[in-house]
Amino acid sequence: MAVPAFQPVRPATLRLAFAPDLASARAVALAIRAFLKDQGVPEPELFAYELCLAEAANNAVEYATGPQRSQRPVAEAVITAEEVELRMTDHTAGFVLPEAGARPSPRQDRGRGLFLIRTMMDDVRYFRGAAENVLVMRKRRAPRPAPAAGPAPHGMGSGLRAFPATEPSFRSETFSAIFRRCAEMGHSTELAAGFGDRLLLDLLQLSSADWCVLRVLSADNRQLEVAAVSEPGLVTAPVVLPGKKGTPPGIEAAAALRRAVTRFDLPAGTAAGEPLRAVGPEASGLVCPLCVGETLVGTLAIGCYRGEFPKGKLQEEVIRAFAEFLAIQTVNFRHYQQEVRNRVLARELEIAREIQHLLLPRTLPQLAGFGLAGGWQSAREVGGDFYDAIPLGERSLLLMIADVMGKGVPAALFSTTMRGLLRGLAARSNDPAQLLSGLNRLLHAELSTVDMFITAQIVHLDLDSRQVTAASAGQCPLLFRPRGSRNVTSLPTRGLPLGVLPGTAYRNVSAVLGEPAVLLLHTDGLTDARNPAGRRYGERRLTAWLQANSQDADHHAGDLRDRLASELARYRGDAVMADDQAFLVLSEEECAAPRAAEAEGLQPETAFLLPAVAAPLSA
Amino acid sequence: MKIANTGQCLSISEIPELTAVNSADFREEVHSSLQPEFPAVIEIDLSDTRFVDSSGLGALFALYRTIGEDGAVVLRLLNPKPEIQQLLELTQMQELFEIVQR
Repeated sequence: MAVPAFQPVRPATLRLAFAPDLASARAVALAIRAFLKDQGVPEPELFAYELCLAEAANNAVEYATGPQRSQRPVAEAVITAEEVELRMTDHTAGFVLPEAGARPSPRQDRGRGLFLIRTMMDDVRYFRGAAENVLVMRKRRAPRPAPAAGPAPHGMGSGLRAFPATEPSFRSETFSAIFRRCAEMGHSTELAAGFGDRLLLDLLQLSSADWCVLRVLSADNRQLEVAAVSEPGLVTAPVVLPGKKGTPPGIEAAAALRRAVTRFDLPAGTAAGEPLRAVGPEASGLVCPLCVGETLVGTLAIGCYRGEFPKGKLQEEVIRAFAEFLAIQTVNFRHYQQEVRNRVLARELEIAREIQHLLLPRTLPQLAGFGLAGGWQSAREVGGDFYDAIPLGERSLLLMIADVMGKGVPAALFSTTMRGLLRGLAARSNDPAQLLSGLNRLLHAELSTVDMFITAQIVHLDLDSRQVTAASAGQCPLLFRPRGSRNVTSLPTRGLPLGVLPGTAYRNVSAVLGEPAVLLLHTDGLTDARNPAGRRYGERRLTAWLQANSQDADHHAGDLRDRLASELARYRGDAVMADDQAFLVLSEEECAAPRAAEAEGLQPETAFLLPAVAAPLSA
Repeated sequence: MKIANTGQCLSISEIPELTAVNSADFREEVHSSLQPEFPAVIEIDLSDTRFVDSSGLGALFALYRTIGEDGAVVLRLLNPKPEIQQLLELTQMQELFEIVQR
């Protein structure tokens, strides 16, 4: 049966939410097809719309994972005399829209759907948002004889840039277009370019104006910069806002400073250098300051080329409302950009933290009579603290603690590299000073090109002779109880961080462990930790704590680690943790009972990660 | 969907549409009819097929992958409607199948 074709004079819209399964996706594609058919889209054109909607709907279903599957995608069709617009709102992590014209190979398993959409529609955009994304697909309709046109709104025409000189639009249509664009803006990252232009053209239609200039306050709040214009000739230099007593350089600046809508009429006389003269000597119109609350965001100047700009109340209301809306959108957009930047950064730090965490040994070697445990907590700004322990035999081992100075993924990657290098070098030498020189030689070039360095301390422990040999590359001195003393003290090691000078030589310092033995390697995150009053924890406090908590033999390294972790948490209170903290603690366990490995089932969200305590080898 | 097997030729017809909803079933049914041995020709009659989406194309492609790639079995698509014919051309799948109007 032939359906009489007619042209809608206003956009007709169908909006359908559907269950996220393929059968519902299919039903939606059929419903949209039927709707477009009712709206007079001829049969041969329907296939393309049905196909594109089906592809988009299938994607919205297939890309959803986990809880996203409970959210209903929304399909929408908007049809006007000129174009059909299809939209698909999905609740997925999103996908990458292929470049236009990137044809998949016929022998390819996937990727045909988006290619078909690209090919069949004229304009395809994908707006990715936080919780949902929108795929917008537009296609111009085949031209057909136009019905009798209504009178053109005056003021339309000559100077409009990028506005198709087609049939006159109706105001209600313009409004709905604006609303649709607003929805789009919530998702758009390319807003800065298209946003002003398109909206301003809408405004010109609404207010019967010839031209307009949108200025936005610069980041330093000192000048009004042109953000969008109705034609290229209207772009002028930024208007610098005067200080408290200066004279505003022109009508826009004056309106901005007074926060008042200002009418102007150039033939009635203006100051020399008036920026609005760019419009022409006979222009008139009004300038609306864009404000959010009391905060100035920019200005909107609008008017006609000659003659008096109409003074209707409604006219002014429309412009004022529009200006308010623009101001809010501008602010939102700036927030949105900031938000995107923050999210990217946060994700990078998260990745770095994961790498860092994975680097820590899951279990530490345990030697008979001694326990070894490590503590690690990552601050929000990942610095790159890590430690490692390499057994050299039944009675000796190498300990290392390091802090990569730098942030994010690069720091984490250097940690990985360094850990691997140390394990390689340790096969040939177990002399701490030599190992540090070797690491410096291997890492220096890379570190200095990215302006990073690493502080590290390497300790060799021989448990039979109880000898500790340590060398430091700018790392905090280790704390221990020397032979013949009941007091904990530090082993004074010194050296340049890795990556500072190419040929750095390091020096070993040796001592003998007292009884009961205790040894603490730590990064500066411990001593630099601050309490809510801003006071550093400091080496003295750390030494005293270790002294008090290691008087008796027979405390497990794991217990010491836990107690130190809670001590640090107690000291910090609700102050922000500024730096990573990592430490390795070795203690004598005379009656060490076999203990189950605690490394399994780590909960990264717990306050202190407990990456390593294993049963003693002697057990 | 109707499947007839003469041993020489496997004919599949009466497919109203081939989409994400039924492409997996289509694949399965066709593949299970390929036992015990491959026919010389597989004819897929698209005369009744009103709509095909990329999953449907994927199912056809899977068939090509399974048995058509070495050229021993002729894969023939019969009477596709113009829109579907255009789809096959756009995705260059007409290179993989013999397309016949009769």
